[in-house]
Amino acid sequence: MSEPAKASSERIIRTFRALFMLAIGAALAWFVYTNATQPDANYPFKLGLDLAGGAHLVYEADTSAVEPMEVDELMGVLRDVIERRVNLFGVSEPVVYVEESSFVTDEPIQRLVVELPGVTDVSQAVNEIGRTPLLEFKLLDQERAAQLASTTIATSTLGFSDPYVDTGLTGRYFERADPMLPQNSQGGGFESSPYLNITFSNEGGDLFEALTRENVGEQLAIFLDGELLSAPTINEPIPGGTAMITGNFTAEEVRNLSENLNFGALPLPITLASTQTVGATLGAQVLEHGIAAGIIGFALVLAFMVLWYRVPGVVAMIALLFYVVVMLALFQFMPVVLTAAGLAGFVLSLGMAVDANVLVFERMKEEYRSGKDSREAARDGFTRAWSAIRDGNFTSILSAIILFWFGTSIVKGFALVFGLGVIISMLTALTVTRTLLIALPALSYQTDRWGWLYNSGSKK
Amino acid sequence: MQIISHQHIFLGIAAAIMVVSIGIIAVLGLRLGIDFTGGSLTEASYVERPEKAAVETALDDLSLELGAYSLRESTNDAGQPAFNLRTRDLTEPERQTVSATLTGLGVDGAVTRFTSIGPTIGQELRDKAVWAIGAVAAVIILYVAWAFRGVGRPVGSWTYGGITILALIHDVLVPTAVMAVLGVLIGAEVDVLFVMALLAVLGYSVNDTIVVFDRVRENLLKFRQEKKVMVKNEYGQPEEQIEYIPTKPFAEVVGLSIDQTILRSINTSLTTLFALSALYFLGGSVTQTFALVLMAGVLAGTYSSIFFANPLLVLLAERNAQRAAAKDAAVVE
Repeated sequence: MSEPAKASSERIIRTFRALFMLAIGAALAWFVYTNATQPDANYPFKLGLDLAGGAHLVYEADTSAVEPMEVDELMGVLRDVIERRVNLFGVSEPVVYVEESSFVTDEPIQRLVVELPGVTDVSQAVNEIGRTPLLEFKLLDQERAAQLASTTIATSTLGFSDPYVDTGLTGRYFERADPMLPQNSQGGGFESSPYLNITFSNEGGDLFEALTRENVGEQLAIFLDGELLSAPTINEPIPGGTAMITGNFTAEEVRNLSENLNFGALPLPITLASTQTVGATLGAQVLEHGIAAGIIGFALVLAFMVLWYRVPGVVAMIALLFYVVVMLALFQFMPVVLTAAGLAGFVLSLGMAVDANVLVFERMKEEYRSGKDSREAARDGFTRAWSAIRDGNFTSILSAIILFWFGTSIVKGFALVFGLGVIISMLTALTVTRTLLIALPALSYQTDRWGWLYNSGSKK
Repeated sequence: MQIISHQHIFLGIAAAIMVVSIGIIAVLGLRLGIDFTGGSLTEASYVERPEKAAVETALDDLSLELGAYSLRESTNDAGQPAFNLRTRDLTEPERQTVSATLTGLGVDGAVTRFTSIGPTIGQELRDKAVWAIGAVAAVIILYVAWAFRGVGRPVGSWTYGGITILALIHDVLVPTAVMAVLGVLIGAEVDVLFVMALLAVLGYSVNDTIVVFDRVRENLLKFRQEKKVMVKNEYGQPEEQIEYIPTKPFAEVVGLSIDQTILRSINTSLTTLFALSALYFLGGSVTQTFALVLMAGVLAGTYSSIFFANPLLVLLAERNAQRAAAKDAAVVE
């Protein structure tokens, strides 16, 4: 290939790369925009309770009475129990999760966090969550069931609204439930699927024996918090205070059921340790202010970059827009909840994100003034500035990791925004800025009339 | 070069800044927020705010033992007049009573924000904050010492790490002193956000210091000459070794490095300050103090990387050289 042909094909590649980069940016921006504006988007922004309004409750569980080995399991059950109760409020998308205190505390403290979007009066929620649940055994009354099924008139005239009859046997008499797996290999087993073994207290055992003797063939329904769990059929009178509940259960179902039964009462005593509520309109205001601060701050940064660095400044502007779009896309994609603190961290990062660009441009300017053309100066600028960018950013990333590791949820959000900001700003400077700068026509500071476009500042 | 030739002045200023900051913090003290002490904070907003005295009387008349509480007039994020009531950790029934008392007065009162933090969480957050700051500082000194391991003379890589930490202390003291002043002026309290601001300042400051050190590292390699010398190895055989002779005094190398990076330091701090001032003037009330504290930290960080860390580097190098010279002199005698 002749020299001019080679040069021109290189130019085409450079231009193509730059255009490709811009196309990716535009596509990503479109993706972010549609996700943010469409009401039923797959990846919307997730707003924290301090921006969306709502209640954040933290409970501490007293684990002093249980074996350390059991703590995780019990906390899981506690979460399920509380989640079930919270779901009954009709709050949209409540979140319940377990959080362990970090190792700075002498004894690990188990916490249960309940987030209720839109709820600002927490009194009802607190009462419901702290309530002792009810485990009940009821008999299915076939007559009533038949009547209910056949009748079309309002159920109120029947004097009952469901076909179940109280038996007096409740969680008070219940001792424990064990999930059992079928033991066909031992020959004696006749159960083909996992089942449940229930043990009653002495008193409960007597009650249960009487109940089963009198109601063979009936269905015994088991309720938790008024919700039907299962309704096994009584095959024969059951003495001895234990019962077997069979059915077409999977191992998973049996385990869940036994947990539900075992912990009909909350498995661990809990106390409310922290409450935070924010009014919805107030949260919206905070969000609005944060967005305004972000836009104005960003505009100031961009204006400065363009005025000071001229052509490279415009390129930095594009790279920064890229940065913002990538960050917003990450907020949508990743399980990041945006909080007031996270938003502040993001605004801060807008100011710091130019750093890699500034480092490169200053380096580039030195090379440019010393006689290299703008493209060569850009290439050298990137090479020379790399060690400073790497070392400076690496410590920031380490700080962010430590912050994330130590942090409670609010700190985690900030740390994530901060750490991602450092990484993404570095990557956009190294890819977008570089590709675009190299694609631009090469000018010389000394000989070209337009050479000042790559110079910076006020001097000369 | 001006900076290095006047290094004693700049180092003196930095030392004075630190002493004054420590003095301010010691005299004024920091007001710990409920994040760290435990307690409750209630923000009640009104269309028309009741008299402060009336609210206080109503609170005093409650049969709850509220103990010492503080009631401040404020403006919420929607621009409404509001009260901020800080009390001990309230239980749920107590919260309801206090809320009813606050909203019963004035016109259209409503509790717009309520935060209650139990003592164990407060304690844990306090411990965590100390741990996090300590761990970040430790990681930074290790990383800097490692990243500059090849630099060697005239100051060792641990000196770079140590100076980075000194600069960090400078940069953290300033915003902390600002916080102490804000505590007196507007009742600002040290909360989790403040700790985050400090950690962000740590990150910023290290970055700033490292950029200049990086240039020093590069220029040290540039301004040196290779010289082959014959030395005796452990078996007494002559062996060729390469020694590097600096072609520029260390102070000049550092001065040049500062000149080459000063525009970058100023420009990056300017853009960061732009973003932060937007956050301060336009952002929500929650993050206003955060923005102010960070601005102080960014200014301190920029000062320390140019006027403190590098002059100190030169000072230590000169100390080392003097000591080595004294040692040589002693050997000759």
